[in-house]
Amino acid sequence: MLCENCKKRTATVFYNEKLNGKSRSLSLCGECASKLREKGEIQDVTSMIESFADPFWATQDTLFNDFFGISSLPKKAEHSACSFCGSTLTDILQNGKVGCPECYSTFRDALTPLMRSLHGTSLHRGSVPQRQLAVRARNEQLGKLRKELQKALSEEDYESAASLRDEIRTLENGKEMNQNGLV
Amino acid sequence: MAWYNEQGKMTDTVISTRVRLARNLVGYPFPSSLDSTSANELIEKLSSPLEESGFRKIHFSDISAIMATSYVERHYVSPSFATAEGPRALFLQEKPDLAVMVCEEDHLRIQSILPGFDPESGYQKAAAVEHRLDREFDFAFDEELGYLTHCPTNLGTGMRVSVMMFLPALSASSCIGSLSVQLAKLGLTLRGAFGEGSGSIGGLYQISNRLTLGYAEEELIQALSEAVIQIAERERRARKSIRGEALEKLTDRIKRSEGTLRYAHLLSGKELIRLLADLRLGISLGIVQGIRQEQLTSLLVEGMPATLTLSSENAPRNEASRDKLRAQKAQSILLGG
Ligand SMILES: [Zn+2]
Ligand SMILES: [Zn+2]
Repeated sequence: MLCENCKKRTATVFYNEKLNGKSRSLSLCGECASKLREKGEIQDVTSMIESFADPFWATQDTLFNDFFGISSLPKKAEHSACSFCGSTLTDILQNGKVGCPECYSTFRDALTPLMRSLHGTSLHRGSVPQRQLAVRARNEQLGKLRKELQKALSEEDYESAASLRDEIRTLENGKEMNQNGLV
Repeated sequence: MAWYNEQGKMTDTVISTRVRLARNLVGYPFPSSLDSTSANELIEKLSSPLEESGFRKIHFSDISAIMATSYVERHYVSPSFATAEGPRALFLQEKPDLAVMVCEEDHLRIQSILPGFDPESGYQKAAAVEHRLDREFDFAFDEELGYLTHCPTNLGTGMRVSVMMFLPALSASSCIGSLSVQLAKLGLTLRGAFGEGSGSIGGLYQISNRLTLGYAEEELIQALSEAVIQIAERERRARKSIRGEALEKLTDRIKRSEGTLRYAHLLSGKELIRLLADLRLGISLGIVQGIRQEQLTSLLVEGMPATLTLSSENAPRNEASRDKLRAQKAQSILLGG
Protein backbone atom coordinates (compact mmCIF):
# COMPACT_ATOMS: atom_id res chain seq x y z
CA MET A 1 0.00 0.00 0.00
CA LEU A 2 1.47 3.36 -1.05
CA CYS A 3 1.28 6.57 0.99
CA GLU A 4 -1.77 8.56 -0.09
CA ASN A 5 0.08 11.83 0.31
CA CYS A 6 3.36 11.40 -1.58
CA LYS A 7 2.32 8.25 -3.48
CA LYS A 8 5.96 7.17 -3.35
CA ARG A 9 6.83 5.52 -0.05
CA THR A 10 5.13 2.56 1.59
CA ALA A 11 2.31 3.55 3.92
CA THR A 12 3.19 2.58 7.46
CA VAL A 13 0.76 4.79 9.38
CA PHE A 14 -2.97 4.41 9.26
CA TYR A 15 -4.82 7.41 10.52
CA ASN A 16 -8.50 7.65 11.07
CA GLU A 17 -10.66 10.09 12.91
CA LYS A 18 -14.30 10.77 13.50
CA LEU A 19 -15.12 14.46 13.78
CA ASN A 20 -18.73 15.59 14.17
CA GLY A 21 -19.92 12.26 12.86
CA LYS A 22 -17.76 12.48 9.75
CA SER A 23 -15.02 9.95 9.39
CA ARG A 24 -11.80 10.41 7.51
CA SER A 25 -9.04 7.92 6.96
CA LEU A 26 -5.58 8.13 5.49
CA SER A 27 -2.77 5.70 4.86
CA LEU A 28 0.53 7.53 5.11
CA CYS A 29 4.25 6.98 5.19
CA GLY A 30 6.07 7.98 8.38
CA GLU A 31 7.51 11.14 6.86
CA CYS A 32 4.24 12.49 5.48
CA ALA A 33 2.47 11.66 8.74
CA SER A 34 4.84 13.80 10.79
CA LYS A 35 4.70 16.60 8.22
CA LEU A 36 0.90 16.64 8.28
CA ARG A 37 0.94 16.59 12.06
CA GLU A 38 3.27 19.56 12.23
CA LYS A 39 0.96 21.42 9.88
CA GLY A 40 -1.96 20.49 12.13
CA GLU A 41 -3.82 18.76 9.31
CA ILE A 42 -4.20 15.57 11.26
CA GLN A 43 -4.76 15.59 14.99
CA ASP A 44 -5.87 12.56 16.87
CA VAL A 45 -2.45 11.03 17.38
CA THR A 46 -3.84 8.27 19.54
CA SER A 47 -5.34 6.63 16.51
CA MET A 48 -2.11 6.40 14.60
CA ILE A 49 -0.13 3.25 14.28
CA GLU A 50 3.46 4.30 14.10
CA SER A 51 5.73 2.19 11.93
CA PHE A 52 3.04 -0.37 11.80
CA ALA A 53 3.14 -2.11 8.48
CA ASP A 54 1.71 -5.57 8.79
CA PRO A 55 3.03 -7.46 5.77
CA PHE A 56 0.20 -9.97 6.01
CA TRP A 57 -2.13 -7.51 4.34
CA ALA A 58 0.48 -5.98 2.07
CA THR A 59 1.53 -9.25 0.43
CA GLN A 60 -1.36 -8.89 -1.89
CA ASP A 61 -0.29 -5.50 -3.21
CA THR A 62 3.03 -6.74 -4.51
CA LEU A 63 1.36 -9.68 -6.14
CA PHE A 64 -1.18 -7.37 -7.60
CA ASN A 65 1.58 -5.25 -9.13
CA ASP A 66 3.01 -8.37 -10.72
CA PHE A 67 -0.35 -8.88 -12.33
CA PHE A 68 -0.30 -5.34 -13.63
CA GLY A 69 2.97 -6.06 -15.37
CA ILE A 70 1.26 -8.38 -17.81
CA SER A 71 0.42 -6.12 -20.72
CA SER A 72 -0.39 -8.51 -23.55
CA LEU A 73 -3.97 -7.33 -23.88
CA PRO A 74 -6.09 -9.48 -26.14
CA LYS A 75 -7.85 -6.98 -28.38
CA LYS A 76 -11.02 -8.62 -29.59
CA ALA A 77 -13.07 -9.15 -26.42
CA GLU A 78 -12.50 -5.65 -25.12
CA HIS A 79 -15.98 -4.31 -25.77
CA SER A 80 -18.10 -7.12 -24.44
CA ALA A 81 -19.30 -6.68 -20.86
CA CYS A 82 -20.06 -9.17 -18.10
CA SER A 83 -23.81 -9.78 -18.13
CA PHE A 84 -23.95 -9.90 -14.32
CA CYS A 85 -21.87 -6.90 -13.18
CA GLY A 86 -21.17 -4.95 -16.38
CA SER A 87 -17.37 -5.07 -16.10
CA THR A 88 -15.46 -5.09 -19.36
CA LEU A 89 -12.16 -6.84 -19.92
CA THR A 90 -10.48 -3.45 -20.07
CA ASP A 91 -11.85 -2.63 -16.59
CA ILE A 92 -10.49 -5.87 -15.21
CA LEU A 93 -7.05 -5.51 -16.74
CA GLN A 94 -6.75 -1.88 -15.73
CA ASN A 95 -7.69 -2.54 -12.10
CA GLY A 96 -6.05 -5.92 -11.85
CA LYS A 97 -9.24 -6.94 -10.05
CA VAL A 98 -12.32 -8.77 -11.20
CA GLY A 99 -15.90 -7.48 -10.90
CA CYS A 100 -17.86 -10.58 -9.96
CA PRO A 101 -17.45 -14.38 -10.02
CA GLU A 102 -19.31 -14.49 -13.35
CA CYS A 103 -16.58 -12.39 -15.02
CA TYR A 104 -14.22 -15.36 -14.84
CA SER A 105 -16.50 -17.35 -17.17
CA THR A 106 -17.35 -14.41 -19.40
CA PHE A 107 -13.69 -13.59 -20.03
CA ARG A 108 -12.28 -17.08 -19.62
CA ASP A 109 -10.38 -17.11 -22.92
CA ALA A 110 -8.61 -13.86 -22.14
CA LEU A 111 -8.04 -14.47 -18.43
CA THR A 112 -6.83 -18.08 -18.44
CA PRO A 113 -3.45 -17.32 -20.08
CA LEU A 114 -2.98 -14.46 -17.61
CA MET A 115 -3.70 -16.75 -14.69
CA ARG A 116 -1.18 -19.18 -16.11
CA SER A 117 1.56 -16.56 -16.18
CA LEU A 118 0.57 -15.30 -12.73
CA HIS A 119 0.42 -18.66 -10.96
CA GLY A 120 2.41 -20.86 -13.32
CA THR A 121 -0.72 -22.95 -13.86
CA SER A 122 -4.41 -22.46 -14.35
CA LEU A 123 -5.66 -25.67 -12.84
CA HIS A 124 -6.97 -25.80 -9.29
CA ARG A 125 -5.92 -28.82 -7.22
CA GLY A 126 -7.12 -27.86 -3.76
CA SER A 127 -10.33 -28.48 -1.85
CA VAL A 128 -13.74 -28.07 -3.46
CA PRO A 129 -17.19 -27.09 -2.15
CA GLN A 130 -19.51 -29.95 -1.14
CA ARG A 131 -21.87 -28.97 -3.91
CA GLN A 132 -19.11 -29.34 -6.47
CA LEU A 133 -18.39 -32.86 -5.26
CA ALA A 134 -22.00 -33.71 -6.06
CA VAL A 135 -21.59 -32.21 -9.53
CA ARG A 136 -18.46 -34.27 -10.12
CA ALA A 137 -20.16 -37.46 -8.95
CA ARG A 138 -23.10 -36.81 -11.26
CA ASN A 139 -20.80 -36.18 -14.21
CA GLU A 140 -19.07 -39.45 -13.57
CA GLN A 141 -22.39 -41.23 -13.32
CA LEU A 142 -23.51 -39.66 -16.60
CA GLY A 143 -20.36 -40.83 -18.34
CA LYS A 144 -20.97 -44.34 -17.11
CA LEU A 145 -24.60 -44.37 -18.21
CA ARG A 146 -23.73 -43.05 -21.67
CA LYS A 147 -21.24 -45.86 -22.14
CA GLU A 148 -23.84 -48.40 -21.08
CA LEU A 149 -26.29 -46.86 -23.52
CA GLN A 150 -23.80 -47.24 -26.37
CA LYS A 151 -23.32 -50.84 -25.42
CA ALA A 152 -27.05 -51.53 -25.19
CA LEU A 153 -27.61 -49.94 -28.62
CA SER A 154 -24.82 -51.94 -30.24
CA GLU A 155 -26.31 -55.09 -28.75
CA GLU A 156 -29.75 -54.01 -29.97
CA ASP A 157 -31.10 -54.26 -26.42
CA TYR A 158 -33.67 -51.49 -26.95
CA GLU A 159 -35.50 -52.04 -23.72
CA SER A 160 -32.40 -51.33 -21.61
CA ALA A 161 -31.47 -48.44 -23.92
CA ALA A 162 -34.83 -46.75 -23.35
CA SER A 163 -34.55 -46.96 -19.57
CA LEU A 164 -30.93 -45.77 -19.70
CA ARG A 165 -32.02 -42.79 -21.80
CA ASP A 166 -34.62 -41.89 -19.19
CA GLU A 167 -32.06 -42.15 -16.46
CA ILE A 168 -29.64 -39.93 -18.37
CA ARG A 169 -32.33 -37.37 -19.05
CA THR A 170 -33.28 -37.15 -15.37
CA LEU A 171 -29.66 -36.69 -14.35
CA GLU A 172 -29.05 -34.09 -17.05
CA ASN A 173 -32.04 -32.04 -15.98
CA GLY A 174 -30.76 -32.08 -12.42
CA LYS A 175 -27.38 -30.95 -13.68
CA GLU A 176 -28.86 -28.04 -15.58
CA MET A 177 -30.68 -26.85 -12.52
CA ASN A 178 -27.46 -26.98 -10.61
CA GLN A 179 -25.38 -25.27 -13.23
CA ASN A 180 -27.65 -22.27 -13.09
CA GLY A 181 -26.49 -21.88 -9.54
CA LEU A 182 -22.92 -22.40 -10.65
CA VAL A 183 -20.52 -19.77 -11.77
CA MET B 1 -7.47 -14.89 26.34
CA ALA B 2 -6.47 -13.76 22.90
CA TRP B 3 -3.73 -15.37 20.76
CA TYR B 4 -1.16 -12.84 21.94
CA ASN B 5 -1.50 -13.96 25.56
CA GLU B 6 -1.15 -17.67 24.87
CA GLN B 7 1.75 -20.10 24.76
CA GLY B 8 2.80 -21.44 21.39
CA LYS B 9 5.25 -23.78 19.66
CA MET B 10 8.74 -22.72 18.56
CA THR B 11 8.40 -19.28 20.13
CA ASP B 12 12.19 -18.80 20.14
CA THR B 13 11.93 -18.08 16.41
CA VAL B 14 8.22 -17.73 15.59
CA ILE B 15 5.79 -15.11 16.92
CA SER B 16 2.57 -16.15 15.22
CA THR B 17 0.96 -18.22 12.47
CA ARG B 18 -1.95 -16.98 10.42
CA VAL B 19 -4.07 -18.79 7.86
CA ARG B 20 -6.61 -16.96 5.75
CA LEU B 21 -9.21 -18.34 3.33
CA ALA B 22 -10.89 -16.04 0.80
CA ARG B 23 -14.41 -17.02 -0.26
CA ASN B 24 -17.23 -15.39 -2.21
CA LEU B 25 -20.91 -16.18 -2.53
CA VAL B 26 -22.57 -16.88 -5.86
CA GLY B 27 -25.08 -14.26 -6.93
CA TYR B 28 -23.40 -11.11 -5.64
CA PRO B 29 -20.71 -8.95 -7.25
CA PHE B 30 -17.47 -8.62 -5.28
CA PRO B 31 -17.64 -6.08 -2.41
CA SER B 32 -16.06 -3.23 -4.40
CA SER B 33 -19.13 -3.19 -6.67
CA LEU B 34 -21.67 -4.14 -4.01
CA ASP B 35 -24.30 -1.56 -2.99
CA SER B 36 -25.05 -0.95 0.71
CA THR B 37 -28.36 -2.80 0.61
CA SER B 38 -26.79 -5.97 -0.77
CA ALA B 39 -23.80 -5.65 1.56
CA ASN B 40 -26.12 -5.46 4.56
CA GLU B 41 -28.12 -8.37 3.21
CA LEU B 42 -24.94 -10.41 2.92
CA ILE B 43 -23.85 -9.56 6.48
CA GLU B 44 -27.32 -10.50 7.70
CA LYS B 45 -27.31 -13.82 5.84
CA LEU B 46 -23.93 -14.81 7.25
CA SER B 47 -24.77 -13.71 10.79
CA SER B 48 -26.88 -16.61 11.95
CA PRO B 49 -24.53 -19.51 11.15
CA LEU B 50 -21.55 -17.55 12.47
CA GLU B 51 -23.30 -16.40 15.62
CA GLU B 52 -24.55 -19.93 16.21
CA SER B 53 -20.92 -21.10 16.04
CA GLY B 54 -19.96 -18.67 18.80
CA PHE B 55 -18.82 -15.64 16.82
CA ARG B 56 -19.71 -12.16 17.93
CA LYS B 57 -20.58 -9.57 15.32
CA ILE B 58 -18.92 -6.15 15.19
CA HIS B 59 -20.32 -3.71 12.64
CA PHE B 60 -17.32 -1.64 11.59
CA SER B 61 -19.42 1.29 10.46
CA ASP B 62 -20.63 1.65 14.08
CA ILE B 63 -17.38 1.58 16.03
CA SER B 64 -14.96 4.40 16.82
CA ALA B 65 -11.86 4.96 14.75
CA ILE B 66 -9.61 4.06 17.66
CA MET B 67 -11.46 0.81 18.28
CA ALA B 68 -11.16 -0.06 14.57
CA THR B 69 -7.44 0.67 14.74
CA SER B 70 -7.05 -1.56 17.77
CA TYR B 71 -8.50 -4.48 15.80
CA VAL B 72 -5.78 -3.85 13.20
CA GLU B 73 -3.10 -3.83 15.90
CA ARG B 74 -4.38 -7.14 17.24
CA HIS B 75 -4.16 -8.54 13.66
CA TYR B 76 -7.87 -9.32 13.36
CA VAL B 77 -8.57 -7.00 10.43
CA SER B 78 -6.63 -5.33 7.63
CA PRO B 79 -5.95 -1.58 7.65
CA SER B 80 -8.07 -1.18 4.54
CA PHE B 81 -11.00 -2.90 6.27
CA ALA B 82 -10.61 -0.65 9.32
CA THR B 83 -10.53 2.55 7.28
CA ALA B 84 -13.04 1.62 4.56
CA GLU B 85 -16.50 3.10 4.29
CA GLY B 86 -19.77 1.31 3.82
CA PRO B 87 -21.27 -1.70 5.55
CA ARG B 88 -18.78 -4.32 6.71
CA ALA B 89 -18.59 -6.57 9.71
CA LEU B 90 -16.05 -8.52 11.68
CA PHE B 91 -17.11 -11.79 13.27
CA LEU B 92 -14.76 -12.63 16.06
CA GLN B 93 -14.22 -15.64 18.22
CA GLU B 94 -11.49 -15.93 20.80
CA LYS B 95 -9.71 -19.09 21.82
CA PRO B 96 -8.90 -20.26 19.28
CA ASP B 97 -8.68 -16.89 17.60
CA LEU B 98 -10.82 -16.80 14.50
CA ALA B 99 -11.74 -13.63 12.67
CA VAL B 100 -14.11 -13.46 9.73
CA MET B 101 -14.17 -10.21 7.79
CA VAL B 102 -17.36 -9.81 5.78
CA CYS B 103 -17.17 -7.41 2.83
CA GLU B 104 -13.47 -6.77 2.81
CA GLU B 105 -12.00 -7.31 -0.66
CA ASP B 106 -13.87 -10.61 -0.87
CA HIS B 107 -17.23 -11.43 0.68
CA LEU B 108 -15.51 -13.58 3.26
CA ARG B 109 -12.03 -13.58 4.67
CA ILE B 110 -11.82 -16.38 7.22
CA GLN B 111 -8.70 -16.08 9.31
CA SER B 112 -7.19 -18.03 12.17
CA ILE B 113 -4.33 -16.70 14.28
CA LEU B 114 -2.21 -18.79 16.60
CA PRO B 115 0.77 -17.97 18.77
CA GLY B 116 4.02 -19.59 17.64
CA PHE B 117 4.34 -22.04 14.77
CA ASP B 118 1.33 -24.20 13.94
CA PRO B 119 0.16 -23.93 10.31
CA GLU B 120 -1.67 -27.28 10.27
CA SER B 121 -4.01 -26.51 13.10
CA GLY B 122 -4.31 -22.94 11.84
CA TYR B 123 -5.61 -24.34 8.58
CA GLN B 124 -7.90 -26.86 10.27
CA LYS B 125 -9.48 -24.15 12.38
CA ALA B 126 -10.12 -21.82 9.45
CA ALA B 127 -11.32 -24.74 7.32
CA ALA B 128 -13.81 -25.80 10.00
CA VAL B 129 -15.49 -22.39 9.79
CA GLU B 130 -15.40 -22.60 6.00
CA HIS B 131 -17.06 -26.07 6.04
CA ARG B 132 -19.78 -24.80 8.35
CA LEU B 133 -20.59 -22.01 5.86
CA ASP B 134 -20.22 -24.30 2.84
CA ARG B 135 -23.19 -26.30 4.15
CA GLU B 136 -25.43 -23.26 3.82
CA PHE B 137 -24.04 -21.11 1.04
CA ASP B 138 -22.93 -21.55 -2.54
CA PHE B 139 -19.33 -20.43 -2.80
CA ALA B 140 -18.23 -19.08 -6.16
CA PHE B 141 -16.13 -21.90 -7.59
CA ASP B 142 -14.79 -22.91 -10.96
CA GLU B 143 -13.60 -26.40 -11.84
CA GLU B 144 -10.38 -24.97 -13.36
CA LEU B 145 -9.69 -21.82 -11.36
CA GLY B 146 -10.90 -23.04 -7.97
CA TYR B 147 -12.43 -20.54 -5.56
CA LEU B 148 -13.10 -17.30 -7.40
CA THR B 149 -11.75 -14.14 -5.80
CA HIS B 150 -11.75 -10.41 -6.46
CA CYS B 151 -8.01 -10.36 -6.97
CA PRO B 152 -6.70 -13.07 -9.33
CA THR B 153 -3.67 -13.53 -7.05
CA ASN B 154 -5.90 -15.41 -4.58
CA LEU B 155 -7.57 -17.81 -7.01
CA GLY B 156 -7.50 -21.54 -6.42
CA THR B 157 -7.36 -22.28 -2.73
CA GLY B 158 -7.90 -18.64 -1.71
CA MET B 159 -5.46 -19.49 1.04
CA ARG B 160 -2.65 -17.40 2.43
CA VAL B 161 -0.54 -18.89 5.21
CA SER B 162 1.82 -16.59 6.96
CA VAL B 163 4.35 -17.12 9.71
CA MET B 164 5.83 -14.18 11.59
CA MET B 165 9.43 -15.12 12.37
CA PHE B 166 11.91 -13.58 14.77
CA LEU B 167 15.32 -13.61 13.06
CA PRO B 168 17.67 -11.21 14.84
CA ALA B 169 20.88 -13.18 14.25
CA LEU B 170 20.25 -13.81 10.54
CA SER B 171 19.20 -10.21 10.16
CA ALA B 172 22.41 -8.98 11.85
CA SER B 173 24.57 -11.17 9.61
CA SER B 174 22.78 -9.68 6.57
CA CYS B 175 21.59 -13.03 5.16
CA ILE B 176 18.03 -11.83 4.75
CA GLY B 177 18.51 -10.69 1.15
CA SER B 178 19.81 -14.04 -0.06
CA LEU B 179 17.23 -15.87 2.02
CA SER B 180 14.50 -13.89 0.34
CA VAL B 181 15.81 -14.88 -3.11
CA GLN B 182 15.94 -18.56 -2.13
CA LEU B 183 12.42 -18.44 -0.77
CA ALA B 184 11.11 -16.78 -3.92
CA LYS B 185 12.26 -19.83 -5.89
CA LEU B 186 10.08 -21.98 -3.63
CA GLY B 187 7.05 -19.77 -4.25
CA LEU B 188 7.37 -18.11 -0.85
CA THR B 189 7.59 -14.43 0.04
CA LEU B 190 9.65 -12.91 2.82
CA ARG B 191 8.89 -9.42 4.10
CA GLY B 192 10.04 -7.32 7.01
CA ALA B 193 7.47 -6.38 9.64
CA PHE B 194 7.40 -3.04 11.44
CA GLY B 195 9.56 -1.49 8.78
CA GLU B 196 9.56 -0.31 5.22
CA GLY B 197 10.07 -2.66 2.28
CA SER B 198 12.23 -5.59 3.28
CA GLY B 199 13.75 -3.82 6.31
CA SER B 200 12.55 -4.56 9.81
CA ILE B 201 12.77 -3.19 13.31
CA GLY B 202 13.03 -5.86 15.92
CA GLY B 203 14.13 -8.67 13.58
CA LEU B 204 10.57 -9.58 12.66
CA TYR B 205 9.91 -11.10 9.24
CA GLN B 206 6.89 -12.65 7.67
CA ILE B 207 7.05 -15.68 5.41
CA SER B 208 4.00 -16.52 3.33
CA ASN B 209 2.97 -18.50 0.26
CA ARG B 210 2.87 -16.50 -2.95
CA LEU B 211 1.04 -19.08 -5.02
CA THR B 212 -2.55 -20.10 -4.32
CA LEU B 213 -3.50 -21.93 -7.51
CA GLY B 214 -2.32 -25.33 -8.74
CA TYR B 215 -1.46 -26.86 -5.36
CA ALA B 216 -3.54 -28.52 -2.69
CA GLU B 217 -3.75 -26.71 0.65
CA GLU B 218 -1.68 -29.42 2.34
CA GLU B 219 1.10 -29.05 -0.24
CA LEU B 220 1.25 -25.29 0.20
CA ILE B 221 1.37 -25.69 3.98
CA GLN B 222 4.06 -28.33 3.79
CA ALA B 223 6.32 -26.28 1.53
CA LEU B 224 6.00 -23.31 3.87
CA SER B 225 6.50 -25.42 7.00
CA GLU B 226 9.67 -27.01 5.69
CA ALA B 227 11.10 -23.61 4.84
CA VAL B 228 10.20 -22.17 8.24
CA ILE B 229 11.76 -25.10 10.10
CA GLN B 230 14.98 -24.76 8.11
CA ILE B 231 15.17 -21.02 8.63
CA ALA B 232 14.55 -21.46 12.36
CA GLU B 233 17.42 -23.95 12.45
CA ARG B 234 19.72 -21.51 10.64
CA GLU B 235 18.72 -18.73 12.99
CA ARG B 236 19.51 -20.94 16.02
CA ARG B 237 22.92 -21.80 14.58
CA ALA B 238 23.62 -18.14 13.91
CA ARG B 239 22.70 -17.32 17.52
CA LYS B 240 25.01 -20.05 18.83
CA SER B 241 27.88 -18.78 16.71
CA ILE B 242 27.94 -15.49 18.61
CA ARG B 243 30.95 -15.87 20.94
CA GLY B 244 33.73 -14.00 22.70
CA GLU B 245 33.66 -10.23 22.65
CA ALA B 246 30.60 -10.12 20.41
CA LEU B 247 28.68 -12.15 22.98
CA GLU B 248 29.89 -9.88 25.81
CA LYS B 249 28.62 -6.83 23.92
CA LEU B 250 25.34 -8.51 23.07
CA THR B 251 24.83 -9.59 26.68
CA ASP B 252 25.42 -6.02 27.81
CA ARG B 253 22.90 -4.68 25.30
CA ILE B 254 20.28 -7.24 26.30
CA LYS B 255 20.73 -6.54 30.02
CA ARG B 256 20.49 -2.81 29.43
CA SER B 257 17.30 -3.38 27.41
CA GLU B 258 15.85 -5.42 30.26
CA GLY B 259 16.72 -2.61 32.65
CA THR B 260 15.08 -0.03 30.41
CA LEU B 261 11.93 -2.11 29.99
CA ARG B 262 11.69 -2.65 33.76
CA TYR B 263 12.47 0.90 34.89
CA ALA B 264 11.86 3.42 32.08
CA HIS B 265 9.35 6.18 32.78
CA LEU B 266 8.55 6.86 29.11
CA LEU B 267 8.61 4.36 26.24
CA SER B 268 7.89 5.09 22.59
CA GLY B 269 6.33 2.43 20.39
CA LYS B 270 9.46 1.99 18.30
CA GLU B 271 11.67 1.70 21.37
CA LEU B 272 9.34 -0.92 22.78
CA ILE B 273 9.64 -3.05 19.63
CA ARG B 274 13.45 -2.86 19.84
CA LEU B 275 13.58 -3.70 23.54
CA LEU B 276 11.22 -6.63 23.12
CA ALA B 277 13.47 -8.02 20.37
CA ASP B 278 16.48 -7.83 22.70
CA LEU B 279 14.60 -9.58 25.48
CA ARG B 280 13.26 -12.28 23.22
CA LEU B 281 16.79 -13.03 22.05
CA GLY B 282 17.97 -12.82 25.66
CA ILE B 283 15.49 -15.47 26.77
CA SER B 284 16.58 -17.91 24.05
CA LEU B 285 20.27 -17.35 24.93
CA GLY B 286 19.61 -17.81 28.64
CA ILE B 287 20.69 -14.23 29.39
CA VAL B 288 17.25 -13.10 30.53
CA GLN B 289 15.45 -15.16 33.13
CA GLY B 290 12.03 -15.11 34.71
CA ILE B 291 10.27 -13.72 31.62
CA ARG B 292 8.31 -15.87 29.18
CA GLN B 293 8.13 -15.34 25.38
CA GLU B 294 4.36 -14.96 25.45
CA GLN B 295 4.62 -12.05 27.89
CA LEU B 296 6.69 -10.28 25.26
CA THR B 297 4.12 -10.99 22.56
CA SER B 298 1.35 -9.66 24.82
CA LEU B 299 3.33 -6.51 25.31
CA LEU B 300 4.10 -6.19 21.60
CA VAL B 301 0.35 -6.05 20.91
CA GLU B 302 -0.89 -4.29 24.04
CA GLY B 303 1.78 -1.61 23.69
CA MET B 304 0.42 -0.50 20.31
CA PRO B 305 -1.03 3.02 20.43
CA ALA B 306 -4.74 2.36 19.96
CA THR B 307 -4.91 -0.82 22.02
CA LEU B 308 -2.88 0.87 24.74
CA THR B 309 -5.13 3.91 24.76
CA LEU B 310 -8.26 1.76 25.03
CA SER B 311 -6.81 -0.22 27.93
CA SER B 312 -6.75 2.84 30.17
CA GLU B 313 -9.72 4.42 31.90
CA ASN B 314 -8.16 7.86 31.53
CA ALA B 315 -7.27 7.78 27.86
CA PRO B 316 -3.91 9.50 27.29
CA ARG B 317 -4.36 12.68 25.27
CA ASN B 318 -0.89 13.13 23.86
CA GLU B 319 2.18 11.18 22.94
CA ALA B 320 4.07 11.83 26.17
CA SER B 321 1.26 10.54 28.34
CA ARG B 322 0.86 7.57 26.05
CA ASP B 323 4.58 6.81 26.35
CA LYS B 324 4.19 6.93 30.12
CA LEU B 325 1.23 4.57 29.98
CA ARG B 326 3.26 2.24 27.73
CA ALA B 327 6.08 2.10 30.27
CA GLN B 328 3.57 1.29 33.02
CA LYS B 329 1.98 -1.42 30.83
CA ALA B 330 5.41 -2.97 30.22
CA GLN B 331 6.18 -3.09 33.92
CA SER B 332 2.82 -4.56 34.89
CA ILE B 333 3.01 -7.28 32.21
CA LEU B 334 6.58 -8.21 33.17
CA LEU B 335 5.69 -8.36 36.87
CA GLY B 336 2.69 -10.51 36.05
CA GLY B 337 5.09 -13.27 34.91
ZN1 LIG C 1 4.23 9.91 1.99
ZN1 LIG D 1 -18.91 -9.70 -13.70
